Amino acid sequence: MLTYNVKIAFNSLRRNPVLTGLLIGAIALGICVSTTFIALRHIFEKDPLRGKSSQLFNVRLDNWDPQRAWNAEDPKSLPSQITYRDMRELMKSSIPTRQTASFRTRFFIHPDPKVGRPYAENIRLVFADFFPMFDVKFQYGGPWDKAADAKPEQVIVIGHDTNQKLFAGANSVGRTVRMDDRTYKVVGVLAPWKPALLYYDLTQGGIGQQPEQIFLPFNFTPVLEVQSFGNSDGWKGFDGDGYAAFLSSETVWLQFWAELPTPEKQQAYRDFVNDYVRDQKKIGRFQRPLHTEVTVLPELIKQQSSLPPSIRSLSIVSILFLVVCSLNLVGLLLGKFLARVPEVSVRRALGASRLQVFWQHVVECELVGLAGGVIGLALSIGMLKMISKVVPNGDVIRLDLEMVAVSVFLSLIAGLIAGIYPAWRVCSVAPAMQLKLQ
Amino acid sequence: MLTMRNIKKIYRTDTIETHALADFSLHVDAGEFVSVMGPSGSGKTTFLNVAGLLDTFESGTYTLDGKDVSGLSDSEMSRIRNRAIGFIFQSFNLIPDLNVFDNVDVPLRYRGLSGSDRKQRIERSLDLVGLSSRVKHLPSQLSGGQQQRVAIARVLAGDPKLILADEPTGNLDSLMAREIMDLLDRINAEGTTIVMVTHSPECAVRSQRQIHVLDGRVVDVAMPHISLARTEASAGVASTLG
Repeated sequence: MLTYNVKIAFNSLRRNPVLTGLLIGAIALGICVSTTFIALRHIFEKDPLRGKSSQLFNVRLDNWDPQRAWNAEDPKSLPSQITYRDMRELMKSSIPTRQTASFRTRFFIHPDPKVGRPYAENIRLVFADFFPMFDVKFQYGGPWDKAADAKPEQVIVIGHDTNQKLFAGANSVGRTVRMDDRTYKVVGVLAPWKPALLYYDLTQGGIGQQPEQIFLPFNFTPVLEVQSFGNSDGWKGFDGDGYAAFLSSETVWLQFWAELPTPEKQQAYRDFVNDYVRDQKKIGRFQRPLHTEVTVLPELIKQQSSLPPSIRSLSIVSILFLVVCSLNLVGLLLGKFLARVPEVSVRRALGASRLQVFWQHVVECELVGLAGGVIGLALSIGMLKMISKVVPNGDVIRLDLEMVAVSVFLSLIAGLIAGIYPAWRVCSVAPAMQLKLQ
Repeated sequence: MLTMRNIKKIYRTDTIETHALADFSLHVDAGEFVSVMGPSGSGKTTFLNVAGLLDTFESGTYTLDGKDVSGLSDSEMSRIRNRAIGFIFQSFNLIPDLNVFDNVDVPLRYRGLSGSDRKQRIERSLDLVGLSSRVKHLPSQLSGGQQQRVAIARVLAGDPKLILADEPTGNLDSLMAREIMDLLDRINAEGTTIVMVTHSPECAVRSQRQIHVLDGRVVDVAMPHISLARTEASAGVASTLG
């Protein structure tokens, strides 16, 4: 029966191409706008590590000024990063399956003169666990091991673009790269990696940020006295001078992540963190009320994602726009369907039930919706392409399969909103009255 | 085949109540060819609509092929219309965008038959009405008589037990009218019950029995072939005829 209804619908739509064009055009416009803004929101809010993100937890502690909150406008706010000394203590816990701290810095790269001139590059210092925790894929080699972490060994992992730049894309595992005044051995080359959001460091703004191109063992931090080129914040001066004073200060500049795969580990870790803060209170630190957060990644993205509120609002407004577009078609479809009452009456006389007539017309509306959806989707792809050219890291802005499915779903809903009342009206007409009048 | 007893049908508006059928009783045997005549507004079309389950009634009983059809749901009535009843209309009522083949196919689609079964039925019925060479024609490309034959083919394809014809020759000239009546005769000869509403005495005499309707009631029955002792005849009719 569906095939037959589709055939009837095509005949009906062909009968009046101008009206059909108007119907499809209205839905296409609604789908274009709604898909574009929902896609933008989806790109930056979707779970970046499906299947894994529920196990990754970010740690935040309130070591801030007892006189005021970290965010003066929000008394419950927490610093988004932790101190070096707190990181060292948290790393002692054996509860997480894996854990890592990280921060961004910047070194000068000195390539082979035949390849190019020295240039500055963003570097991230991490522990070896960073790579399996965040499911980072390798093209060649792999991360360094825990022994290299501890020593620390002069090894690095480089990104795909850097490998292209320095080694023409070849397998560079075992080759060396000079950064500042040291030479490091490449142990791994990442596969192309362009997340929509820098989810492991939302303090960088998240959206529009690319992953760093070079990763270095974290324990080089005190060795090289590495300065953070990310966000750092403090509420009191250092006790003493020099880098050691910085490391033991209350300055927050590190992101800390723990992998906690089970609810038991998650609870145990929360207890561990709270116990740690209580112990620190005894030595005069953490003078604000006890407040720690061990936040799962998707929740942290919701809290800290720098998706502009306007995008969130526009995604909602765009749905309303689609509804309005659909409702505007009700009158057109009502006129179109009621003009076919004589044909409907004949079909009823020949054995079509009210429900069959209803579904026949709903199918026609859904065909209009789908046609509008296809055109709207194409227009949306164009709009997103235009947007990607004017925002940083714009090449992450594209439609994925999930959004295509959402767009198809919205087009079906739009067809239904537009057509359900006209379909009900036409199937409710008494056929007996119409048959005699022809 | 068809037994109506004391059927009452009232059309109501805000201010007016029209008793289209008042105490209407009729029996038609299986295989009969009955014509229904009467002036405009006598209730003929309303009777046909009620008989064809296109309209409901207020009171009385209606038994179709041994089954009481009062109080049925819309889908049940549609199913009976599709399988047991065929309609022939004065203005043919072909769907203008569909060709001959597809027009005959319409009732079969609602029966859920396979493609090959439908094709077979359609080809057979078009052959019976002599229009096999016109399958791709649209209704606008056919004469009135040809359109009516397509409508009859549409009925025959479904193989109904009862055909309800509402002035089937009303829009045709006398030659085409005769052709259509000859076709109806042949269909009836094969056992299909036909109830035909007509204004034409020439068409009415082709039937076995003529029912006269006035003011929503059967007032006269010309039954040259049917015994007056039939128990289903209403008391009013029997007394009218003496």
